[in-house]
Amino acid sequence: MKRSLRIAGCFFLLANAPLQAAGVSALEQANQRFAAGNYAAAAADYDQILTIDGPRASVLYNLGNSYQRLEQYGPAILAYERARLLTPRDPDLLANLTLARKAATAFEDPRRNPRLEAMLNHYSRDEWSWLVAGAALFLGGLAVLSGALGLPRRSWCPAVIIAASLAGLALVCGAGALYLRRDEAARGIVLNAKAGVRLSPFDQAEVLGTPGAGHSVRLGAANGPFHYVEVPGTSLCGWMADSEVAAITPGGGKPGG
Amino acid sequence: MVSQSQRSNALRCLAHGVAAASPPQAVMAASRRQWSHVQRRARAACLQLVTALIFLAAGLATPTAAATVDATLDRDSVPAGNAALLALTITGSKVSQIELPEVENLIIQGRGQSRQIQMNNGQTAVSLTCTYAVGSNTPGTYQIPPINVGVDGQNLATKPLTLKVLDAAAVQPPPPSGTPPAAEEPADTSGKRFGFLTVELLVKDRNYLYVGEIAPVGIRAWLPQDSRVQLRSGIQPEGKAFTLHNVSERPQQSTEIKDGKRYTVVTWYGGISATKAGKYPASLSLDATVAVRDTAAPTPRPRSGGPFDDPFFDSIIGRMNTPMIEKEVTLKSDDEELEVRPLPGAGRPDGFTGAVGDFHLDSWEMPSTWKTGEPQQISASLGGSGNFTLLNAPGLTPPDAWKIYPGKSDLTPGDAAAFSGTKTFRFSAVARHGGQQDAALSFSFFDPATAAYKTLTSPPKTITVSGSDLVEDQSNITSAAAKQPAPPQDPLVGQHAALSPVGALLPLCARPAFIRMLGLAGLLCVLGSAFAGLRRRRSNPARLAHAAMEMATREALQVAAHCADSLDVAGFFDAARRAIQVQLGARWNQPAPAITLAEISARIAVDSPIAKFFHAADLSAYGLHAAADLLPEWRVLLAEALASLTPTTR
Repeated sequence: MKRSLRIAGCFFLLANAPLQAAGVSALEQANQRFAAGNYAAAAADYDQILTIDGPRASVLYNLGNSYQRLEQYGPAILAYERARLLTPRDPDLLANLTLARKAATAFEDPRRNPRLEAMLNHYSRDEWSWLVAGAALFLGGLAVLSGALGLPRRSWCPAVIIAASLAGLALVCGAGALYLRRDEAARGIVLNAKAGVRLSPFDQAEVLGTPGAGHSVRLGAANGPFHYVEVPGTSLCGWMADSEVAAITPGGGKPGG
Repeated sequence: MVSQSQRSNALRCLAHGVAAASPPQAVMAASRRQWSHVQRRARAACLQLVTALIFLAAGLATPTAAATVDATLDRDSVPAGNAALLALTITGSKVSQIELPEVENLIIQGRGQSRQIQMNNGQTAVSLTCTYAVGSNTPGTYQIPPINVGVDGQNLATKPLTLKVLDAAAVQPPPPSGTPPAAEEPADTSGKRFGFLTVELLVKDRNYLYVGEIAPVGIRAWLPQDSRVQLRSGIQPEGKAFTLHNVSERPQQSTEIKDGKRYTVVTWYGGISATKAGKYPASLSLDATVAVRDTAAPTPRPRSGGPFDDPFFDSIIGRMNTPMIEKEVTLKSDDEELEVRPLPGAGRPDGFTGAVGDFHLDSWEMPSTWKTGEPQQISASLGGSGNFTLLNAPGLTPPDAWKIYPGKSDLTPGDAAAFSGTKTFRFSAVARHGGQQDAALSFSFFDPATAAYKTLTSPPKTITVSGSDLVEDQSNITSAAAKQPAPPQDPLVGQHAALSPVGALLPLCARPAFIRMLGLAGLLCVLGSAFAGLRRRRSNPARLAHAAMEMATREALQVAAHCADSLDVAGFFDAARRAIQVQLGARWNQPAPAITLAEISARIAVDSPIAKFFHAADLSAYGLHAAADLLPEWRVLLAEALASLTPTTR
């Protein structure tokens, strides 16, 4: 069994090695263009890597840097926010995201206690989800083992109780964090400085306001090429073209009606 | 000339004076000071009375002018719902009656009267002016008939008047003459209707700054009150001469009046710096969407009648109803020039890295024992105010005795704009020479207040360095010493060179797998509970005892049946009795051998099948062997005895 697993692992690595090498060379090329000051070409290269490989934190981070150099703060903040989904504790990423937000004057609205906010954001929603699922599975496995086999020694009882308590605590904390951050599933970023919130989902509709590039909006239902958006902290809400706003998490917002 | 109001005032004073002249008991009891005050007022009232009487006597003694009446309108036309003022002037000493005409749909309401006495060339003219508000809610041309007035015994009439009442929707009423115009916002022709910015250098006794200095500034956005504002950008310098630093994220807000206009003032604090000397306009801009009230829009018709028929309420309601104009504007500051002075070349210290401000060495730590070639950690905290960005770690003196490696620094801001604070440096240094050395930390900066460079050095610390002197390339040392001040660091952290693994942007909780995993966990918990229940049930002692009892009963009955088949009466009774004993023992919680006929007789009726069977079994056991042909009867009796035991007991 172990031997077959090893063989399968080796086969997987061998199969992925050319792709990995191609990705590394593409990243190097894009980084060289960035270093040469050709930020637009670098951004295009990073976009291509993401299209081929899928989301990678380092590429998203570099893409955000390229857009920031181009002073396109909306796409830059979007790329950083997507990178933050993968590496939420990367100090470089957080520093550059703060810079971009500052340049775009798109500051996050501190809704809760800053300390609680920091604790909640220490892990990504994906990590909190894995914590919840892992804790639940651990508790389930422990229940099956204890139920089916019983504890072989009485001295194991405290250890099992402590482990179960920790798993329960992790489960509760993770579930609480996911609940408190449930709004993030529908978060979007305004891409253009001139992006307007319209009264109705039509190009000719009256513009009610322009939230500004890089600002976070809450995405609602989609209607054709428009999404209903609400700008947090203001009373501004309406329809925004899909080309002017993008969900941080792909598929964010409600499906169109 | 004495007006009616003056006369009534004199009478009021007289009454007051009379009251004061005959003080009641309460006034008598008052203090002397109060009493003197009352006396003064009484004297003044008497003087006014005498004056009024003189004027009255003069009026009565002199001939009066002929009586006349006249009526005038302050305007010819008025919008529906508004009123014109009709002034009825009566000249004569005694007015008996005024007959106001009645005109359909025309409303005439009295608004007061005033009396005047004029003396001219010995003739006294007393005139009474009555004011009426005349208007209608129905447009049309109204003829106001002559007004009959009885004066000095004569019946006089005014000439007829014509008033046009216009459709209110078609025309705006002109402001009535004699009344003050409504309070309006002054027309703003300076292009600052939607607000503007001001920049104020917050440096004491200075209106210039030095190259590289981050001077604190207060940036104020003056926004019209009652406006709605949404910022669309941060504050940006208009030109390239200045750079803004650390603009506070949370501005302060206040209300101020400037040039007679009320503004909401939003104030940011930050730092401004320049890289080139000269005079440059310190103009800043801020993109915003501003909505202000359109004072040029037609105001709603003033309300007439009701509890809010007052200009005060008209002003408030009018402002509330005034439409808003929203515009995306760029608020700008005036192009006031700011002087940027170069840093003096003379007296520039070697270790100067561009720090401009006022700094001091708060604390520093350095180990006492070193070894050549081995790096040691040094920490130093520099406090003060200025451009911390260009403030580098202090150097170790003497410089050629150490090799210093760049370390880390942390700035703890002391204010919102991070203009003041404490910067803590941690870096490593290697001793080049062995032996005892006096080491100190030193750093230089330019103090703009004194316009001079300063070098601060910590008290020397004697450290012991073990090991032999390091041998290294002297060119490295000289090149390091000759290194120019580092340029300002790019705030953007650089690119990542390593390819991180592919991840999923969609979190696990948004995928169906999450629900499956939680379902599996729940299923495992249920399974575990089921297993635990089963295990507990299997190890239950009562259940085990019951099963053992059932098995023993079954075995005894099998033996009894076998003995009956083989006509072994003694064996039958022995086995059958054992079966009943097991059942009763479990029921009565006694050992099975302890169940005897005596025990049974004490608990059960003697004629019960169990007692009968035990009696027969005892007879068989004690020598009275029963005939084998009676075995079917004993078997029936055994069946009855077993049946008499309740199923629960069994």
